[in-house]
Amino acid sequence: MTLLRADGVERRYGDVVALAPTDFELAAAESVALVGPNGAGKSTLLAILAGALEPSAGRVEGSVRVGWVPQRPAHYAKLTVRENLELFARLGRVQPDVDALLARFELPPDRISGELSLGNRQRLNVVLSLLDEPSVLLLDEPTASLDPESRGRVWALVDEVRADGGAVCFATHDLDETSHATRVVRLQDGRIVA
Amino acid sequence: MTALLRKDLLVLRRSPLLLGALLAYPIVIALLVGLVAGYANAKPRVAFVDEAGLPAVVTVGGHRFHIGTVVDQVAQQVTLVHLSAGEAARELSNGKVVATITVPDGFLDDLGSSTTSPHLILRTTSGGLSSRVTQQVQSLVYQLNRKLQSGYIAANLAEVRLIEHGGTFGPYTVLGLDHMDSTLAGLPQTAKVQQLRTFVKIARLALAETGNALHATASPITLVQPKQKGRTWILSAQVQSYGIALTVTFLALLLAAGATATERDEGTIGRLRRGLLSRGELVGSKVSLAAVAGVALGVLIAIVFGLVVDIGGVRGGEPWQRLPLVLVGVLLAAAAVGAAGVALGAVAREARTASLLAVLVVLPVLFLGLVPRGAFAPAFWISEFLPFTHAVRWLTAALYDVSPWRTLGIETAWLLGIGAVLFALARRAVRLLAA
Repeated sequence: MTLLRADGVERRYGDVVALAPTDFELAAAESVALVGPNGAGKSTLLAILAGALEPSAGRVEGSVRVGWVPQRPAHYAKLTVRENLELFARLGRVQPDVDALLARFELPPDRISGELSLGNRQRLNVVLSLLDEPSVLLLDEPTASLDPESRGRVWALVDEVRADGGAVCFATHDLDETSHATRVVRLQDGRIVA
Repeated sequence: MTALLRKDLLVLRRSPLLLGALLAYPIVIALLVGLVAGYANAKPRVAFVDEAGLPAVVTVGGHRFHIGTVVDQVAQQVTLVHLSAGEAARELSNGKVVATITVPDGFLDDLGSSTTSPHLILRTTSGGLSSRVTQQVQSLVYQLNRKLQSGYIAANLAEVRLIEHGGTFGPYTVLGLDHMDSTLAGLPQTAKVQQLRTFVKIARLALAETGNALHATASPITLVQPKQKGRTWILSAQVQSYGIALTVTFLALLLAAGATATERDEGTIGRLRRGLLSRGELVGSKVSLAAVAGVALGVLIAIVFGLVVDIGGVRGGEPWQRLPLVLVGVLLAAAAVGAAGVALGAVAREARTASLLAVLVVLPVLFLGLVPRGAFAPAFWISEFLPFTHAVRWLTAALYDVSPWRTLGIETAWLLGIGAVLFALARRAVRLLAA
């Protein structure tokens, strides 16, 4: 069953093509690894699938909750970890168990997030994608800056989402991580080449 | 939207440097402008050089008047310092006095002669106060002339009365028209005598009107200035309105631009645009931030202004009673300017660039708003389509007009119209943020 589908999505910046017209599907219980060199279009495709970036053309269809972990930690540096989680939960009109999420990823709730280590900021980045218990998880180099233990948590999360009938798509430069994928998609120059 | 606004206010509270600047900036601006207002009300220092040795009382045409009283009237507007000619020249050259008034030697002789106009010598610097001092000295000369003309007219009338009624004039005995008529009446009434008596009659009638004619010629137009209650000094009104509008414009633009661009800097714009907030809600939250901060700062600066005006004894305006009205104006202005700030922040896409861009944009906007219509019409018309000018008019009307409602209505319409256009532009511009 297809959970998320992109039909001819394209992204241009003037004359520069970041993503050529692309079709892409994500099925239930699937884990897709996006690989390719820098500038291949991996992050652009994930951002369009997540709805964070408007495509220049094409459309994305899907009626499931989608969690998105951007490549760069995206949260408010002046707010505490808990305040960030509560703010985005309020904006998303969801009521997650914030304490459980904090405990699971061992995040210090009252620390100002801008003062966290890069690894902890990336963990917060991941937790923010889980606020509405998504069925589809889109992760852009999610394990960058993470220690082995935290990486293990991320992959455990991937397995969990799949086990619940969801789907995961992640971008990576680490070919070892493709072992967590059921399908590998290679992009180059804004196009899917394999 | 309110959640994002609360977040921005919390972030603001946790940015002590920025918050300090936001609080200190309007206070400094208010104090500086208040000091300017006070300075405008202060007396410039003017040297008075008396080379003529003016006595306390001068007699002109048999009339005594206290020349010191007239000089003291001028001293109510300026601080007169009695100096020698050399000292006065030195102090003028080094700026310790802004002008020197010299009463030259021979002034009293000219004054008493009734034939040569006495003169005062005024020297000023080329600074901004010179025109004000010139006005004060012109006022002094005007008042002296008013006093003197009474004396001169009295002297002239004494001579007219001598012609009418006769008397002595130096070594001479003047017959006078009265005696001339009675003498002529005692002569045989020939045609020539009759002709002379007719002349005497006409001359007496004409000379009887001489007093009124002299007064009318000396003062063709008399300025009557009835005392009345009310606002007396428009300068403080304009300065206060400009001070509040300038501060609110500056800060609302910077705050909205910075807060908008920061959403991209922190990467959160991507999250927000994933259905958490519409573009309109995003613009709305940043405009609300500018409006809330603008009102808070507007209150602060209006209070500081009110205190400065009160303490400085500057008369005019209603800084306290109209405070709620001022806040409405500040809210409207800050919101309109905030929308422009969001557009700038979205275009800049980076907080530091946005701040720089906001400063670069705000200064010409402020200067355009200060250009009078008669000075450079294009600047005036451009400023008509910017919020600053209308904010100034709104605040001036709110603080100082006896019946401000018509002006407030017009300026509210302008601010809402400009704000709506800027909001639409900002809504389009925020698309760039997530790109």
